[in-house]
Amino acid sequence: MVDSSVEQLLPVDKKTRRRRTAVRQPGYYPGYSTLSQKSFWDAATRDVVEKRVYDVPEIRFFTPDELPLMQAVCDRILPQDDRLPEFHIRIVNYIDERLYKGSIDGYRYVDMPPDGEAHRLGLKAIDETAYAMYNQPFLDLGPLKQDHVLKSIHDGKKIAAHDIWERMSIKRYWHLLVQDCVAAYYAHPWAWDEIGYGGPAYPRAYTRLEGGEPEPWEKDEQRYEWEAPSTSISDAYEEAAAGAETTHHGQGGTH
Amino acid sequence: MKSPFLGEFEPPHENGKRILGPLQRISKQYKHYLDSEEVDYCVVGVGSAGGVLLQRLARAGFKVVGMDAGPFWDPERDWVSDEKGSHKLYWNSLRITGGADPLTFGENNSGRGVGGGSVHWAAFAPRFHPSDFRVYTEDGLGADWPLSYEELKPYYELLEREIPVAGPAYFPWGDPHGYPYGPHPLGGVGDVLVKGCTKLGIRVCAGGPVAILSGSHGNRPHCIYRGFCIQGCKVGAKASTLITHVPEALEYGAEVRDFSMVFRIGMRHANRVNGVFYYDRDGHEHFQRAKAVIVSGYAIETPRLLLNSAGPGHERGLANSSGTVGRYLMAQAGNVVLGRFSELIRMYKAPPAHALTEEFYETDPKRGFARGFAIQTVAPLPIAFAKQMMAAKGAWGWGMRRILMDYNHWATLGVLGEILPWHDNRVEIADEKDEYGIPVPKITFNLHENDKKLIEFGKKKVMDVMWAAGAEEVVQESRYAHLVGAARMGSDPATSVVDKFGRTHDVSNLFICDGSVLPTQGSANPGLTIQSLAARTADYLISQGEKIWTSNERDMTPPRVRRHLAVKDSFSKGVPRLFH
Repeated sequence: MVDSSVEQLLPVDKKTRRRRTAVRQPGYYPGYSTLSQKSFWDAATRDVVEKRVYDVPEIRFFTPDELPLMQAVCDRILPQDDRLPEFHIRIVNYIDERLYKGSIDGYRYVDMPPDGEAHRLGLKAIDETAYAMYNQPFLDLGPLKQDHVLKSIHDGKKIAAHDIWERMSIKRYWHLLVQDCVAAYYAHPWAWDEIGYGGPAYPRAYTRLEGGEPEPWEKDEQRYEWEAPSTSISDAYEEAAAGAETTHHGQGGTH
Repeated sequence: MKSPFLGEFEPPHENGKRILGPLQRISKQYKHYLDSEEVDYCVVGVGSAGGVLLQRLARAGFKVVGMDAGPFWDPERDWVSDEKGSHKLYWNSLRITGGADPLTFGENNSGRGVGGGSVHWAAFAPRFHPSDFRVYTEDGLGADWPLSYEELKPYYELLEREIPVAGPAYFPWGDPHGYPYGPHPLGGVGDVLVKGCTKLGIRVCAGGPVAILSGSHGNRPHCIYRGFCIQGCKVGAKASTLITHVPEALEYGAEVRDFSMVFRIGMRHANRVNGVFYYDRDGHEHFQRAKAVIVSGYAIETPRLLLNSAGPGHERGLANSSGTVGRYLMAQAGNVVLGRFSELIRMYKAPPAHALTEEFYETDPKRGFARGFAIQTVAPLPIAFAKQMMAAKGAWGWGMRRILMDYNHWATLGVLGEILPWHDNRVEIADEKDEYGIPVPKITFNLHENDKKLIEFGKKKVMDVMWAAGAEEVVQESRYAHLVGAARMGSDPATSVVDKFGRTHDVSNLFICDGSVLPTQGSANPGLTIQSLAARTADYLISQGEKIWTSNERDMTPPRVRRHLAVKDSFSKGVPRLFH
């Protein structure tokens, strides 16, 4: 049985008004598994994806002081409370690997320090903001207050850590943080299963291109309506930090 | 079926061969020149332009070597059907980016490794319109090209057959023409574009034009619609010079030297180059002697190399007496409009590029700005989609999880809008150094009034199309696509870097041939134009023969079109009634 504090982190089923239980695979495609298809993939793809799942990189970049804070932040940037703990995707480990290896996306904004330094400074700024707002470290705050701290950065509000926001753009830091989290999470085949994404299809091919029809190995959607837990505020949409300003982050080249 | 009939797909065992595709294998043993051997041409960068140049020059019997900073890919072993695992295909070295509307780099533009950006382009391959070559004359903004559409047209026709391009038998915009391979079947996003455009009475082109095979072509199989075009096509259906031109270049004696990062062009004296300095894979410095050098590093690396090659007589950078090296850099407006549909779309199937309209391409005085835009299908995979939603909806937390659970309900269309060339949009050299110790580029980018009006109009028009297609929610993200300019061609040496054949105004045996020479960019994806210009530059070099190395005479007579140098067996293919 889950205890009540864990339980209040769970989404609520809109129909039954009950909390949903943590499961191996949330989403509308129960039973769908991209990994079950791996023998149809080419060898190079199979190696890369299996390594990601079964050989999670160890922490080498974040210090023991930073690690719990980074973990707590990522737990709110992409909450996984609806997943059984053994099926949490280890976002922080993948981000750590990128920063440890100094792997970048080919650019740095003039108003940003290198990515690794930006993450370290960002964690400090988040903690200072938590102190300024609630007089407590971020780690000691409940989920709702943690969300309010992060939302202030999402909104580009410089509540504390002014020296840090002098050195880096608050808007770009937020983008860096969210991008790193989604790049880690949605690279994982468990996330593909959650969203019903077909995954690798070489050499086999996709054959049902139109009308959203599933391939023989894909599943039909089985929707359920849900609400985010009341301990969160991240399910309400507003333009990100940029506000009226246009964002030109341009990641995810598509054409 | 639980597993394939013949068991898991195991790694291929053919050692000593590169496996370019399921049916295409080439030897690893080809011509190798010594640094001390003087080659006829050294091409810096084996990408869209470099691959075509090597093939043409080798076919014509020249001694050529192509340098590439990245690996000579073995797609079967190196590439994966995986978004994150394809990071290595992009030019990821540090670039500093600023200005009021900064560009981003990496996966959004230039590639690293043989094939360059053509390895990860989405492969839309439209021609430029005739009006693109005289923007200044017609609109009083931007620049005119030193050549006309008619001069480039024979090369468009050749390249459309060499790479080849699939599309309709009749393409109605610009100079109407047809394509040699038939259009592709549509995926979910193509259906959305066609439906929206049809509702609004906008002509739309379905199933192309894309440099992706809709039927098998020699040793290249047709498309299997797996959707990983910009992650590198393992199938060999999408054209890249790695599979279209480089194999033939090697066969005719060209060398492709991989992991070779050129950092400086060598000078014999102020008006002649004599080779290139480069670092090999172990970081050792070399000098390759060459009678002439062609820089094909694309819109950032080309100006970077010229600026880093500053020296006596060229204090502001090589070939930069005009001060325009690095200036007039352009990106296209690439706003992505995302629409949610109640029915499933599954946009990850089919190539992201497969339908477009150029109905808004030309200047329309009623709109209040010069030039126009195209609307094209795009189809981000999950990571790219999530990043777009971060910008488009400010999504994070449970909101992000919720949107991504609906990934299969979203369709995306892209604006491809013409941003004009501006003097203040430029590449410079920063104080910081890269992993080799070479100073990195610093890029400044600002949108101007005409650009902003065009983007606003284009974005709204694409949103209209998305609503008309039946979307129940429509959002958009501002971004850019492509990258050209920064070493532009022109007739006047005071305002341009190269002449209409790609020869630098300042140094008679130094050429530039890549997207950086474009004076304007239209609303067409630049890949086909870059390759066509490369074939034309090659014809010029071949027509000039030894004069390039021995004389400072600048013969401006256009070369005759050497159709026999097209990639073997491609010349006669096509739509006969439209072939001139």
